[in-house]
Amino acid sequence: MHERTAGTVELRIPCRAEWVAVARLAVAAVAHRLNFSIEDIEDIKLAVAEACTNCILHATGSQQIEITCETHEDGLTVHVRDFGSGAAVENIRSAVHAEPQVGGLGVFLIRSLMDSVNYDVDPKRGTSLVMTKKVYD
Amino acid sequence: MHSHSVDEERWDRQKTRDSFARFAVASQRKAASELPDLEFDQLRNELVVAHLNLVRYLAIKFANRGEALEDLIQVGTMGLLKAIDRFDLERGVEFTTYATPTIVGEIKRYFRDKGWAVKVPRRLQELNLSVNRAIEKLAIKLGRSPTIPELAEHLHATEEEILEAQELGQAYNLLSLDTEVSGDGERKSQTLADYIGTTDAGLTLLEDKANLERAFEVLSGRERVILYLRFYENVSQTEIAKRLNVSQMHVSRLQQKALEKLKNVLQE
Repeated sequence: MHERTAGTVELRIPCRAEWVAVARLAVAAVAHRLNFSIEDIEDIKLAVAEACTNCILHATGSQQIEITCETHEDGLTVHVRDFGSGAAVENIRSAVHAEPQVGGLGVFLIRSLMDSVNYDVDPKRGTSLVMTKKVYD
Repeated sequence: MHSHSVDEERWDRQKTRDSFARFAVASQRKAASELPDLEFDQLRNELVVAHLNLVRYLAIKFANRGEALEDLIQVGTMGLLKAIDRFDLERGVEFTTYATPTIVGEIKRYFRDKGWAVKVPRRLQELNLSVNRAIEKLAIKLGRSPTIPELAEHLHATEEEILEAQELGQAYNLLSLDTEVSGDGERKSQTLADYIGTTDAGLTLLEDKANLERAFEVLSGRERVILYLRFYENVSQTEIAKRLNVSQMHVSRLQQKALEKLKNVLQE
């Protein structure tokens, strides 16, 4: 059993599909240290992959995706941020509210896998998808 | 779904809303009359067909978890049916928004019913063991350390699975001492800790094995290969010489040197 302590793990990957597996594995390793069940770890991996895919499909001009894992006593919070133009904000909004295109479906899928999904809007740093999953043991 | 234009999307959504409006009327009529209702069945079928793409899209996301895609599509379609029957246009959400968690929930329940939470750690654990065996095997065959793609091909697994099996599989090998190994409700269930007696010859052997493994680290790759073939696989020096393309005398010298190195380390 690993002891659950607060900590942050940051990862930046190129904004391209072939790097998504690296994010999946890194986040899986972090989740594993929090004693998530194998099912939860698979769900978290899928959610992170979907969020990264969203960045790749919608973030025009972004070179990198930043994935930040925050571990806390009762679970894991993952921020997935791209550095695309401001249009990214609009893309996410429309994906959530009206247009159930593939990216939008990705967000619905993430919602059904994680405990909470939000957007963290920072005018300087862009928009990130913030998702949290609680660990039960 | 990628090929859909925005206009087509809009039209699809309008069509879906219309279908659901007619479906709601048919549902009420059916509930009131308790008779078979042809239009109800037809509308329900149409709605299912119209959303099979959504089910497929979601099922594919779970296809890497070791169950057949067709089965996932089938249970996902059950979820779709539930969502169609429960959907309420008045709530003002898109049907896809509403249906996604229901379909995902049904797919996930299928994995749970299949005992997936037990099977997957077991598979990772087994893969972890076979990765270790494959590394040795391929190292001998290739004369160098194998790459991840080589291991993946050898074990018919994906590269990600290999990496994950190495990272996570190990942890699942370390059973907790408090893990219950038996328990039928009447007797007090036993844990692994209960099985550990006093000084056990097996444990000493385990310690020897661990020491030996550490000692092996001082050997070169070729020396390890020779000792492995000679003492684990019981291959003759002549045969080893042939495989490594050197003389039998050379193998003999290398083996002698390797054994001496090991002896020195273990005596420290």
